[in-house]
Amino acid sequence: MNAFALAPLVLGLPILGVLFNGFVGRRFVEADRSVGEKWSGWAASIMALSAFVIVVLLYFSLQANGHHAEIVPMMDWISIPSANFHIPWAMQIDTLSVTMMLVVTGVGSLIHIYAIGYMHGDPNFSRFFTYLNLFLFFMLILVSGNNYLMLFVGWEGVGLCSFLLIGFWFDRTNEKGEAMNANAARKAFVANRVGDLAMILAMSLTFWTFGTLNFEPVFDSAVEMFHSGAMVHFGAFSASLGGVLTAITALFLVGATGKSAQIPLLVWLPDAMAGPTPVSALIHAATMVTSGIYLIVRSNVLFEIVRESHALVLGVISSPDLVALVGALTAVYAGLIAFTQFDIKKVLAYSTVSQLGFMIAAVGMGAYVAGMFHLITHAFFKALLFMGSGSVIHGMEHGHHHISHGHGHDNHHDHFDPQDMRTMGGLRHHMPTTFWTYLVGSLALAGIVPLAGFWSKDEILAHASANSGGINTVVYILLTIAAFCTAFYMARQVKMVFFGEPRHKAAEHAHESPRTMTMPLVILAILAILGGLLNFPHFGAEAEAAHGAETAVVAAGEHAAEVESAGGLNLALEHWLEHSIASFHLTEEGVVEMPHTPTTLQIPVATISSVLAIAAIAIAYFLVYGSRPKTADERDPLQATPIWWMAVLPLNTLYMGYIVPAFNRLAEWAAHTLDWAFWHDFVHDNIIRNIFVGFANFASNVLDAQGVDGIVNGSGSVARWLANQIRRSQTGYARNYALSVFLGTVVLLAYFLFMAR
Amino acid sequence: MGLLTIVTFLPLLGIIWILLQDKEKDDERVKRIALGTSIVTFIATIVVLALYDKSEAGLQLVDRVSWIPAWGIEYHMGVDGLSILHILLTSFISMLAIASSFPIIKQQVKQYYSFLLALEIGMMGVFLAQDLFLFYVFWEFTLVPMYFLIGIWGGKDRVYASIKFFLYTMAGSLLMLLAILYMGITNGTFSLPDLIAGRAAFASAQNLLFVGFAVAFAIKVPVFPFHSWLPDAHTQAPTAGSIILAGVLLKMGTYGFVRFNLPLFPEASAHYAPTIAVLAIIGIIYGAIVSFAQRDVKKLVAYSSISHLGFVMLGIFSLNAQGIQGGILQGINHGISTGALFFIVGIIYEQRHTREISEFGGVWMAMPVYSVLSLIVVLSSMGLPGLNGFVGEFTILLGSIGAASLGPNAWIYTAFATTGVILAAVYLLWMFQRVFMGPLDNPENKKLRDINKGELAIMLAFLLFVFWIGIAPSGYFALMDASVAELVKTVGSAVASLP
Amino acid sequence: MTVPVEWYVALSAILFSIGALGVLLRRNAIIIFMSVELMLNAANLLFVAFSRYLGDLDGQVLVFFVITVAAAEVAVGLALIVVIFRTKQSINIDEINLMKG
Repeated sequence: MNAFALAPLVLGLPILGVLFNGFVGRRFVEADRSVGEKWSGWAASIMALSAFVIVVLLYFSLQANGHHAEIVPMMDWISIPSANFHIPWAMQIDTLSVTMMLVVTGVGSLIHIYAIGYMHGDPNFSRFFTYLNLFLFFMLILVSGNNYLMLFVGWEGVGLCSFLLIGFWFDRTNEKGEAMNANAARKAFVANRVGDLAMILAMSLTFWTFGTLNFEPVFDSAVEMFHSGAMVHFGAFSASLGGVLTAITALFLVGATGKSAQIPLLVWLPDAMAGPTPVSALIHAATMVTSGIYLIVRSNVLFEIVRESHALVLGVISSPDLVALVGALTAVYAGLIAFTQFDIKKVLAYSTVSQLGFMIAAVGMGAYVAGMFHLITHAFFKALLFMGSGSVIHGMEHGHHHISHGHGHDNHHDHFDPQDMRTMGGLRHHMPTTFWTYLVGSLALAGIVPLAGFWSKDEILAHASANSGGINTVVYILLTIAAFCTAFYMARQVKMVFFGEPRHKAAEHAHESPRTMTMPLVILAILAILGGLLNFPHFGAEAEAAHGAETAVVAAGEHAAEVESAGGLNLALEHWLEHSIASFHLTEEGVVEMPHTPTTLQIPVATISSVLAIAAIAIAYFLVYGSRPKTADERDPLQATPIWWMAVLPLNTLYMGYIVPAFNRLAEWAAHTLDWAFWHDFVHDNIIRNIFVGFANFASNVLDAQGVDGIVNGSGSVARWLANQIRRSQTGYARNYALSVFLGTVVLLAYFLFMAR
Repeated sequence: MGLLTIVTFLPLLGIIWILLQDKEKDDERVKRIALGTSIVTFIATIVVLALYDKSEAGLQLVDRVSWIPAWGIEYHMGVDGLSILHILLTSFISMLAIASSFPIIKQQVKQYYSFLLALEIGMMGVFLAQDLFLFYVFWEFTLVPMYFLIGIWGGKDRVYASIKFFLYTMAGSLLMLLAILYMGITNGTFSLPDLIAGRAAFASAQNLLFVGFAVAFAIKVPVFPFHSWLPDAHTQAPTAGSIILAGVLLKMGTYGFVRFNLPLFPEASAHYAPTIAVLAIIGIIYGAIVSFAQRDVKKLVAYSSISHLGFVMLGIFSLNAQGIQGGILQGINHGISTGALFFIVGIIYEQRHTREISEFGGVWMAMPVYSVLSLIVVLSSMGLPGLNGFVGEFTILLGSIGAASLGPNAWIYTAFATTGVILAAVYLLWMFQRVFMGPLDNPENKKLRDINKGELAIMLAFLLFVFWIGIAPSGYFALMDASVAELVKTVGSAVASLP
Repeated sequence: MTVPVEWYVALSAILFSIGALGVLLRRNAIIIFMSVELMLNAANLLFVAFSRYLGDLDGQVLVFFVITVAAAEVAVGLALIVVIFRTKQSINIDEINLMKG
């Protein structure tokens, strides 16, 4: 059975949903709220679910197909024959893209269903689902395109949807009257565009280097050129392949820092929490922000060639190492900032940034499978946490609603923030399902055995420690610190939200969310528990040997299914993904040397990280927040420590406090002073016009009046004078004229008689 | 009389018909005649497209008769890959501009539509003329109707703006006239193909001649720093005037570069390519920054044209197939997107009689359909992949990074130009946010009505091409591919011979 | 015996002079008119005299023309004078200076 022909439906179904909700959904909802919401929300959800079903079919087709990548062409996109530039609309169905699509449509479907409950009663209910489906469409293009330009379509498209969804409540303002949601949306888009600049440059370089932007030909010719040691020539430019690829991969990194919120472009993600919570779960935790990781995994061949060619970025560090370092630094940096947040979603946002740092670090070190593994498990438990926090917020809002009705309208204008953890507390009694699932998610995130997060995080740490030396040692230390931070801030959050006594009336009156919201939580909680099975490591040295044998079997060209039967569940993800990550077989061929990820559980590494995680939880739960906080306005115990310095957000302050105002001033100056006052008014309207008018005046008053006019008028006045003289002879008496005739005759006679002789 | 002549002068029939109408009584009829004429002209250009053979590089459907034999001046019209998209754009934009004027123009209706149709004749002629003298006649002729359109039906400072527009462009054209005369007299012909074949005769003077043409075209484009007329003309012109000005008239400048400067003076083009690329990049960044700080929506859109046309110029002077094709296509895209933006501004201006951004906010809630359509146009202007702007922009950047004409460090040019992508998001989204998002707190805005059927039809016509070019642009590239390949061959050898 | 032609010339000159002086000096339009006639007839006399003297009839033919023209002139002239008299109640030509510059 082969379902590849159905692949375009994966893109078509979400678009169908967009059209339905975009054109008629609003009418349904306005006609009858409760029925219309069901139609609108379930139409979108069913589109997502159907896409998920098709992706599952694709999964089985791939297995039946021996995991060979299948290109499904749809139509021509850009084709310039004379420039030899051809970009198709085509899908690449391989194990990597199917993995991503499973995450996107799977988690996406759950979030769609959750959103039906969460967005209940929103005046723009159907608009929300239009955007969600549109997002799915672009995200699926991103992960399924067979060329960089299609990837970029999705890349920018999800950025657009992120903009639309962050700004979904664009009319909301804060106390100062600023449209904060709209500002956050714009900030996200612009920060992403900075990354996109790098993407455009990287793609342009790729095209000129390899003559195409399709993934497989690019990687094939990269390998070929690397093999033959060819130089890169185009236009009047020439450089070594390593140099050009370093530039391309470094630019990809910049692109990834934009989309996956890494240093230095991470500042938009915390602000993006202004969007509705399902959006935070779907876009800003599970899917869109992982595009950067996908991009790097997809381009693994290029990164490995750079690693092999020893070319350096600016002569300092090789670009894969730079990727790893950026990821590790971000992991620690964001992990520390998360300590200082009071907004329940912002803690999760910084946690997301930190976890994305883990993944980026992993793929930078060459642990592509580990990065993908963490990407998947993180999608499970972080979507769970966000939806749990949404459930909490929902409960708090209802609690607040309840009390403000109970006490008349006095409280209506207070700025109650349902996301502030200081007003919560004790919610475990009011919201049990939310609490238990949230707890599972938190422990998974903190890396507690045997939950999903432990296995994926441990694989990254194991890779860093096994390939120690150089940058990897630094990365290992940083990531271990980050792991400690993760456990700490999650313990702090769970403590503040669910334990202790309610610190606000709203928390007292909070109640559990409806089933459409809790059911996805339960499903995700199960996934967060079992997710580790996806790439379960071997235990002990024997298994390691067994794996070595398996690899030999694969190298011998045996059917992959046999390997899986031999390996069982162990390393399933690796066996699955190695068909798409070309560096695996290139390593076997000896072209590149992709760092090897340990396939057995590294007991020392696992022990260290587990001990640290448990220690962090214990410190947070018992020592720092043991009996605190008791009241909503109590200071956080950490507020007296240097940790709190992270709260001023150095990068954000740099951007919003310096660069943005400087740009605004520059623009004001350029527009109103330089262009208008100087160039438009002064140069054109004064100098040029005055010179012209001055010349015109000179011409008219001096040249013309005294020169040309002098002659003209002078001749006129002479004529006038002369005429005055002559007119005297005109007496009007006929006899005078007769006399002159007579005299004239006499003169003529005299002339002819005497002179003309 | 060939098809191209018919296409060009079809609007003349409409003008005559309009002028035969009874004064003041038949405004509705005049509108119908004008729109009908423009639709027929549009269909005629489609016929041209149908007869056009895209595999042929040279001129097609040629109309060539002697006009002033003593000076070698001919009436010579022809279409090729460089002009086919431009004439389609001209008839398309003219049609929509006329339709968009229906609810706006209430005074001197007959004259107004006559001028619009006359403008169409001039623009068609510019894109089809293959004789330099004939070209010059059409080129200057377009000034006259535009002058009156701005000067009579324009905004508050219309007289100032129209005179500035007229003088500025006229002044630029004079140098071009000198260059045309020089070449015509040296070679005894004004026919473009003959001059290209005989360009050796004036090769020694080509740098000067290049500058003569370049100044005229650069003012029209406008290339920084010749842009000072643009904000005045755009803000003062009536909506249809702005649509045509941005949509077509500016393209006459970029078209001029491709049609005349590159093939006539290939060595000079290669010589000046870095200079023009630098000006283009300054234009991209400067236009974007300046439009960011505008307080008037229309002025913001006007300045954004400087930025967009910078991309077009950069593409053209990459002097390779990607760059030139991208440049031409981006010109078309700009005509569609910016034309649509001016139309959008026009809709809201007609209701509120202000264009101050601070007067608006939260318009999305009052006018949802309008806002969604506007968002798509804004995104297209911003270069969102999947919409038309991106295809042109990316192809241009692709061209410029591989441009031999810009030397081994072409990527530096490209890197600077690409910042325009960020800046476009900055200024367009800032505008979009302040007009459409935020709270609907101005009571005046609560009374806004959403777009009506007529406006919707015009918007959808624009959007059709926004999506079409964005998703399937190959057909558009195919139209110009052969001609551009031919041009690149000429220019490419000149670039290769550069020291 | 024949009268020598010189006498005719002299008489004609005297008549012409009288006419010319009359035209120049007199104020009365009628008298100026008669003076004009006198000048014409002086010329006629000279034509006839020379015709006879030269034995050529052309001169006499011309005299007929002159007489005819003079008759027409008298008719027109008198009509003019009558009109002028009607408008001005005078035929004093000093009062008729419409052509004064």
